[in-house]
Amino acid sequence: MKKYALLPFNFTRLSGKEVLVNELGDMMITPIGTAQKIVDRSLDDEDLYKSLVANFFISEELLPSLLDIYASRLRLKKSFLDDRTALHIFVLTLRCNQNCVYCQASSREEGSLHCSMTFEMMEASVKLMFRSPSPSLTMEFQGGEPSLESELIKYGIELAEEINQQECRELSYVLCTNCRSLSDELLTICKQYHVLISTSLDGPAYIHNKNRGREDSYEKTMAGIQKARDILGYEAVSALMTTSEQALDYPKEIVDEYVKDDFTDIFLRALNPYGLASDNEDWNKYHERFIAFYKEALDYIIEINKKGTFFREDYATIILRKILTPYTTGFVDLQSPAGTVNSVLIYNYDGYVYASDESRMLAENGDYTFRLGKITDKYEDLVYGVKVRNMGKVWANEALAGCSDCPIKAYCGADPVRNHSTQGDMYGFRPSSFVCKKNKAIIEYLISLMIERENEVMPIFRSWLR
Amino acid sequence: MKEKFEIDSNSNVLFVTDQCNNHCIMCCQPPKKRDDFDYHFKKNVALIKSAPKETKAVCITGGEPTLAGKQFIELVRIVREELPETEIQILSNGRTFSDNALPHQLKEIGGDKIFVGIPLHSDYAGDHDKIAGAKGAFNETMLGLYNLADEGIPVELRVVINKMNYLRLPKMAEFIFKNLYFVTWTAWMAMEDTGYATKSAKHIWIEPIDYIPQLCSAVRVLSEWDIPTSIFNIPLCLLPEDYHQFAAQSISDWKTKYLDICDDCALKEKCCGLFATSKNVFKGLYPFLHSI
Repeated sequence: MKKYALLPFNFTRLSGKEVLVNELGDMMITPIGTAQKIVDRSLDDEDLYKSLVANFFISEELLPSLLDIYASRLRLKKSFLDDRTALHIFVLTLRCNQNCVYCQASSREEGSLHCSMTFEMMEASVKLMFRSPSPSLTMEFQGGEPSLESELIKYGIELAEEINQQECRELSYVLCTNCRSLSDELLTICKQYHVLISTSLDGPAYIHNKNRGREDSYEKTMAGIQKARDILGYEAVSALMTTSEQALDYPKEIVDEYVKDDFTDIFLRALNPYGLASDNEDWNKYHERFIAFYKEALDYIIEINKKGTFFREDYATIILRKILTPYTTGFVDLQSPAGTVNSVLIYNYDGYVYASDESRMLAENGDYTFRLGKITDKYEDLVYGVKVRNMGKVWANEALAGCSDCPIKAYCGADPVRNHSTQGDMYGFRPSSFVCKKNKAIIEYLISLMIERENEVMPIFRSWLR
Repeated sequence: MKEKFEIDSNSNVLFVTDQCNNHCIMCCQPPKKRDDFDYHFKKNVALIKSAPKETKAVCITGGEPTLAGKQFIELVRIVREELPETEIQILSNGRTFSDNALPHQLKEIGGDKIFVGIPLHSDYAGDHDKIAGAKGAFNETMLGLYNLADEGIPVELRVVINKMNYLRLPKMAEFIFKNLYFVTWTAWMAMEDTGYATKSAKHIWIEPIDYIPQLCSAVRVLSEWDIPTSIFNIPLCLLPEDYHQFAAQSISDWKTKYLDICDDCALKEKCCGLFATSKNVFKGLYPFLHSI
């Protein structure tokens, strides 16, 4: 072998292999002992040596001629930062027509007063959104149950469209709804402006209804989904699930429910410790069981794909995109620098701007740490203010203890809001972090699958990423 | 080569020079060191001026055509002026594009109906340089590819398969997806048994039948990633049926030949046939007696 210099990479051992990951997130599966041999200059496998050079782990030149290409690829991986905030969440109200056992948004009774956005607030928020330089802007309507405020939705969209005649951004809309009371009028607006419906379906009726605290929830949700599909088209309606403690026993049944309902994907989401869910008694136990649940569900989904049905798990897909492709991802929760502010801003019913969806959930419990200012404040004061500057010090996992030397940091992200809410400081402490534990387990499981069942899973994983 | 262009031909060639800054070990038209730019330039201008306006495509090649520098750009300008609707294909090793001035000029003068075909011999610089016969060739070609992408000029990547690179074809496919994700097309090509390829057969010749597994695995990787990919110069009878869809009619019409056994083959019409210029025919050829 020639004389060579080392390029930055980390490594870990999984499934009897040494997994090497460089700063671009490019991964190599190598025999155990490879990292040591690289350092000792004792590589004896010529083919492996060539791969290490080709994949930017070592360089035959002290100053690699292709460093600009390395830089260009890093820029592509981090290109979610280029245009700044694209996702703008409008929390229209806390009013809700359900009472989910795990509600993370502190929803209130349908008839409650003083917990909805006013038209003036909507106007100020939409104008603020257009201050983001991003060429594409997504308005996402949340609650509570935002469909209870359909006039406000209509007003917000029409105002955005009007302003956009001058601004010429690429606008898109998402309505996060339980589909319980989608009126014809609301669906007409959705059709006119191509609003996507993102609903919540936790699985078969016995799980969904129990989580919702209503006997008729499943039936109503399914009817709403069908109605939305009929009017807006199948591709305009997607669903998310949240894994309640009870759901942990039913991975296959939940997947089956989604397949039966003609969905082509599922997002297996763990509970987040906000709102009602934060009262959960044993988070340690919950996370352990969630990881087992996730693995079982994922294995089952792979079996479904092997039988010829395209069906995708969304969390795995996000991680796989980071591992296997040169491209960036837009998912707010797994970014470094963090998605908070960089990728998302929240305009809350209370007239304040928050750094993330979780930030406004904390505010309902009296914690205003991530309240950036009023919706009438200047854009610059909000996104360049002291609060955001302080978050900026701890929102890149490349510079956090416990993350910077993590072999799989390129596939994970930083989350100062979560660290603050669960560990009491934004910096966080990885050894006792449940998010760290969960992400690590899932990412490592995906890598193990690619090592142990390569020929079986790779065609499926690639099909999820097309 | 033709003396006159034909509207539908896939071999309307503008030959710029015999010179090259690579010395590829399997080159089918070994380079010559002589100043031939002016001679070919005059001939090419005459060819362009007499060409039918409906000519679908012309191919600017060599040697390394970009070595002609300003004359190369001038040739592109004349084609664009005389044949505004014609697609311009440029076959280059990409090295001179490592200076970003050239791709920029090419884009400004050539416009949209243009693409560049560039060979990549390996994902490992050392092997690429050895095959290209020039140290530093890989790095320059890589930078050239990025510069072309930056100008939005479509690139067809060409991998000529030989004994020195066939084992890494699947790794190359992953390398292309990760590092050259912007290429429009990747073509995997069998060698022509002529020129240097015949001369140094011992070191570089390999029968397609011996590299089909690696080739198919590479094609599968790119197609699973939705990267358009095709197989050039390999007759259908040497490819598994699943891979017939990737085979292209790749051999210039004037260079194509078929064997006597091909007359019995139900797939002859769809098959690229063989190089008439090759010394030997591939091993393992047979006719399909029924269409599939």
